[in-house]
Amino acid sequence: MNRKLNLGLWIIIGLLITSCNKKEAISISGSTTVLPIISIAAENFRKSNPELNIIVNEGGSGVGVNQLGEGKIDIGMVSRDITKEEIEEFPEVDFRPLSIGKDAVVPVISSEIFDAGITSLTLEEIAKIYKGEIQNWKELGGPDKEILVIDKEASRGTRHVFMEMVLGDKEAVAKGADLVLGSNNEEQTAIVQSDAAIGMLSNAWLNDDVRGLSIKMSSGELIKPSLKNILNNKFPITRDLLIVTNGEPNGDVKKFIDYLMGDDGQKIVEEAGYVKIH
Amino acid sequence: MSRSTNAIGKYYVYGSTLISAFIVFLIFTILLINSWDAINIIGLDLFSLDWNPANGEFGLISMLYGTAVVTIIAMILAVPLGIYAAVFTSEILPDKYRFVVKSILELLAGIPSIIFGLIGVAFLSIWFQDLFDLQSGRTLLTAGVLLSIMILPTIITLTDDALHNIPEKYRETAKGLGLYNFEIIKGILMPIAKRDVKSAILLAFGRALGETMAVMLVIGSIDKLPSPLFNWLSPGQTITSKLGREIAETSLGSVHFSAMIFMGLLLFSVVLLLTVLSQRFTSRSYRLYE
Repeated sequence: MNRKLNLGLWIIIGLLITSCNKKEAISISGSTTVLPIISIAAENFRKSNPELNIIVNEGGSGVGVNQLGEGKIDIGMVSRDITKEEIEEFPEVDFRPLSIGKDAVVPVISSEIFDAGITSLTLEEIAKIYKGEIQNWKELGGPDKEILVIDKEASRGTRHVFMEMVLGDKEAVAKGADLVLGSNNEEQTAIVQSDAAIGMLSNAWLNDDVRGLSIKMSSGELIKPSLKNILNNKFPITRDLLIVTNGEPNGDVKKFIDYLMGDDGQKIVEEAGYVKIH
Repeated sequence: MSRSTNAIGKYYVYGSTLISAFIVFLIFTILLINSWDAINIIGLDLFSLDWNPANGEFGLISMLYGTAVVTIIAMILAVPLGIYAAVFTSEILPDKYRFVVKSILELLAGIPSIIFGLIGVAFLSIWFQDLFDLQSGRTLLTAGVLLSIMILPTIITLTDDALHNIPEKYRETAKGLGLYNFEIIKGILMPIAKRDVKSAILLAFGRALGETMAVMLVIGSIDKLPSPLFNWLSPGQTITSKLGREIAETSLGSVHFSAMIFMGLLLFSVVLLLTVLSQRFTSRSYRLYE
């Protein structure tokens, strides 16, 4: 019995020692908006560089900045600007953001409401919904249904960009919110499951069940969330998709970033539903 | 066995016990040290309503309320159901089927919580949404019901073991006295098994309190008290779902981080307190002679 136990112990110790000798790896974490690009790019990149491991995780832009600041990852995916507080928090870290594509944050609603005739709203109307001043679709000319207002976790990039434009402060409290969710995925699911929801999503995550609203400008012009309107900055809530490194990237990290900025990488950006930068 | 292997065995056992005890102590100390900032800077404002780290507001009331409600719902549903099911598997079901049922239950206890969470999001919350005609099926009640399903196997298998471990002679003697099966279970077996059943409930309680993934997915995660207060069909937040969603966003050493750790400390203390209390006030064993 004892001998077996000791053998087991030695095996575990042996495993621990050998696992320390692991291969070189780039670890990446952060925004779920940037994630689809990076995960496909990582897969393709590894085909030509099989000796290199790329570990991609998600958690939101805040997580990307935080973990990069703490030195846990090599590249942070961030779908908003890095805030002043974050820069002050990690004084010894030299954040170097690099835009790999463009995207819009689109106010989205359940298809039932969209089909009932609400296809565009002004930014003020959206703000009133999030403040809790408008609580029923009836008030906006829609069906008599209470609005399910879906908010996002405070540090999510999508929320920062959205709230900045809609409520004027990236960390504004949405008093009217009913649910607080995290990733684009989770938000998308909740909107599909409801028949009276409003939420915010990256442009690439729209589909037949999750419809993007056009934004009614003060001039009366309706602006659709189309790739063209994102490219020429007409759509009011656009943003850069960033990858952030600590200092000038070098070695494998630089190789991967060069791949992302090259033709192959930019094609992935486009295929993921975003706008490429050149 | 030689003297040396004997000694190794002895130290191995001592060592394992000490390490476990030390880890518990270590966790408590780390939680306490890291939550010190929050206790010092925020103080009693920790027990207020609003949570907004950007403005320095760290009120935990809604999370504490959510944790309490969800756990209570889970326990109310799972404890009676679990104990009755265990009485059935141990006392009524023939032995050859008992083995099958128990294996399945133990399998159920081992299902990762994320799977329960996905089922909760995909089905349970939709059912609740339709059943109660709700805006959204992500509610405190949904989380409570999901949790009760998750802790049920723990209660059943442990209670079943407790009942099954009672020597046959108690049942034989009782039958010899002409008692009905129901009277044997109620008057003899349950009192004897009481202590073990209590620890089964405690273990299940600990799991319900600490469950994160599944709860996080179905609870709606909003830091608000429901209005009215007992409207459990509205979304809420528990300590664990808050931690699961937000801990990675906080930076080490900030007040925000410290406040999150303080929540962990509260959770830990509740479980610790309950364990100590239940051990202190455990009734004496009814076993006569063995």
